[in-house]
Amino acid sequence: MFIGTEKLTHTYMPGTPFANEALKEVTFDLSQGEFALIIGPSGSGKSTLIQHLNGLLKPSSGKVYFEGNTVGSNKAELFNLRKRVGLVFQMPEEHFFSETVYDEIAFAPRNLGFEESKVQVRVTEALEEVGLETRTLLNRHPFQLSSGQKRLVALASVLSLKPEVLILDEPTAGLDSSGRRNLYSLLTKLNRSKRLTVLICTHHLDEAAALADTVIVLQHGRLILKGAAKEIFSRREQLYQLGLGLPAVTEIMHGLSEGGMKVRTDIFDLEGARQEINKLKGRHVK
Amino acid sequence: MSRSITLGQYFPGQSLVHQLNPRMKLISLLFVLALLFSLRSYSGLVALFFIALFLIAKTRVPFRYFLRGLRPVLFIAIFALVIYFFFTSGGIVLLRVGFITVESEGVREGIFIILRLVTLVLFSLLLTLTTTPLSLTYGLSYFLKPLRYIGLPTDEVAMIMAIALRFIPTLMEESQRLMRAQVSRGADFESGSIFRRAKSLVPLIVPLFVSAFRRADELALAMEARGYRIGAIRTRMHEDTFFPRDWVVLAVALVMLAASLTLGL
Amino acid sequence: MVNRSEFMIEARELAYYYPGEEKNSFPALSGINLAVSRGEYLALIGPNGSGKTTLLKLFNALLAPCEGEVLVEGISTVDENKIAEVRRYCGMIFQNPDNQLVATTVEEDIAFGLENMALPSAEIQNKVIAVAHLLGLEHLLHQPPHLLSGGEKQRVAIAGVLAMQPHCILMDEPTAMLDFTGRRDVIETVRGLNRDQGIAVIHVTHFPEEAVYADRIIILNQGRLVMQGPPEIVLSDVSLLHSLGLQGPAAVELAALLREDGFDLPPQLIHCRELVHSLCSLERKS
Repeated sequence: MFIGTEKLTHTYMPGTPFANEALKEVTFDLSQGEFALIIGPSGSGKSTLIQHLNGLLKPSSGKVYFEGNTVGSNKAELFNLRKRVGLVFQMPEEHFFSETVYDEIAFAPRNLGFEESKVQVRVTEALEEVGLETRTLLNRHPFQLSSGQKRLVALASVLSLKPEVLILDEPTAGLDSSGRRNLYSLLTKLNRSKRLTVLICTHHLDEAAALADTVIVLQHGRLILKGAAKEIFSRREQLYQLGLGLPAVTEIMHGLSEGGMKVRTDIFDLEGARQEINKLKGRHVK
Repeated sequence: MSRSITLGQYFPGQSLVHQLNPRMKLISLLFVLALLFSLRSYSGLVALFFIALFLIAKTRVPFRYFLRGLRPVLFIAIFALVIYFFFTSGGIVLLRVGFITVESEGVREGIFIILRLVTLVLFSLLLTLTTTPLSLTYGLSYFLKPLRYIGLPTDEVAMIMAIALRFIPTLMEESQRLMRAQVSRGADFESGSIFRRAKSLVPLIVPLFVSAFRRADELALAMEARGYRIGAIRTRMHEDTFFPRDWVVLAVALVMLAASLTLGL
Repeated sequence: MVNRSEFMIEARELAYYYPGEEKNSFPALSGINLAVSRGEYLALIGPNGSGKTTLLKLFNALLAPCEGEVLVEGISTVDENKIAEVRRYCGMIFQNPDNQLVATTVEEDIAFGLENMALPSAEIQNKVIAVAHLLGLEHLLHQPPHLLSGGEKQRVAIAGVLAMQPHCILMDEPTAMLDFTGRRDVIETVRGLNRDQGIAVIHVTHFPEEAVYADRIIILNQGRLVMQGPPEIVLSDVSLLHSLGLQGPAAVELAALLREDGFDLPPQLIHCRELVHSLCSLERKS
């Protein structure tokens, strides 16, 4: 019961002809240090859900809780929630406004009211956490960076809050494959070394699936499935019916299994697939 | 996210009022407005008010949308009422409190003014609630066409207005998302002095401009890629068409105006 | 005018420098020689900043070459009088679906290009309806674009290009912002047009799984064409891909690992089903 929701319902523009129930009685929880994915077709309520976890939207009914306590709707409680639950929006570098990388990352700690010396420490730490060389970058204009660097600076600008939960909406959108791999290895590192709870919304499962402990599936604002990644991705037919795919590696394992080979199908990454297929070889060699 | 942002005030429908040619609606509205200001008789004004109500019922747009449109003029109406009630003399004294008197002539004129104002707003709402902003734009640009001869690029102006209309919802969504992104980084747009609040808008305005320019750039490329060239001749998929009903409506508006002017109603 | 060349698009010794960038430092593109045949499906891959988008813009006459020339159906793209013709032959689909829809309804957006061609209203209406029917967009004709899903927006953009009866569709990462269903719909739509109508396609993508369907793949790196050939040759060259920071499709990556482990797999496996098939037949043999 670290962070989660209970019967969370959200209606946009209630009481108008345009009223739209984006979330319907969604209940789930994550424990500290968990790495979770939220998947679902566009318009299934993923963005609405994560914005509640960060206190940006208030429930129409139901509740959001953090560390076992229900989050109230007063300003102080919401501010406190935002401090501890970092949210990285889709294409976050589009929200840059500062003249320097330093100011961009310092925005959040300054909003927390820290003295400049402490702000500076936070900025340096955040940049180190995302693996960027601090000295050369700090005084650059954020727009001069490469797209991969921009994404990392955007991530640092949220990590400078020192959140306990990090939520990312489609974190690899627009990145090339080396940028995508770099970002995911960074998120894994943060999750393992800092016990940061990570929650990712994505349509691209190839890189993300192998890292997740838990997967949550939304459709039309309802929570359809929640469980261990291995369990969720074994429901191949159901996922296709929901308009969701499988990681390509998992697809191959399913193919092998259908072709009569005795392999596990709950495998999402290349290394896992390699080991599983090698086990068969080992058996034959003997 | 907010899939519900609507453009302008348009309320979709299939009524006769909806289907009238926008150019006709615009001209007829002009005539009706002129009529409203030339009318001096109570009976004429009341008749016009009921015509407005009749048309409103015809549109099948829920009446609360018209009420909402009337809200902004409420203050002016109350203000006018107070002025007329207390400062116009004549007729029977209805009320006397201390040195303030309310006389019947004041009440009469106050109500007349308010009825005129309300009718005026109702007719304008009849236009804006039943016409898409795009057809309104094209309707307006048609009347601007003569300005082409003094060098105003009227087709381009119409295109600019149409694109602005197309991007209002997109930019509104964008500013909402930006605001949330900065709030989630601890920004506070609500408290503090005016100076502080103005300063706190920088994190919104800079990226909003950057993104608006980027969008404009991409859109310009996309338009060019599809063969749009400034100054080149274009056609329209839906040319405005006029039906007999359009002429009838226009004639009715014109006759009413003429009658009011000649008969001094 | 009849183009006597067998090629739909030809680029000769093409180079492009963005204004302000020194000629010698880092050209966006240089020394590009490329010919695209009628009805060919070409995939263009390469890391961020390798010049892929620039090349598409040169083909659509949105940019003029700094050196060399581009011929579209035999017409030079710098011929001011024939730019409209070039753009009609080569329609372009951009990455962000929001920034390419011009009109306030789907119907008027599909009509936009035809209106620019100054066709009579009745003809425009017929073409719009025919295209909407072909792509299954009839039910959306009167919707405003901002109410559509990402995949629908991209298909409307394709319809707008298709209405002008192009010989080639240029696509710049058209699926980057879409969900699984949206990606599948867009790719299937375009593959269908390529197969059934013989429209050539040049498809820029960051996803190797999308490139496997191409007739030919071109790799760009730092503004130069580093490799080209059929997908089974280009995509199976894992060491080259990795050296450029790219990845092969999952089947290729997995096959490479398994070969290291001594599996006797045929070269040039790029589809998941090929890998599955080969592994299953190995299993049967042993």
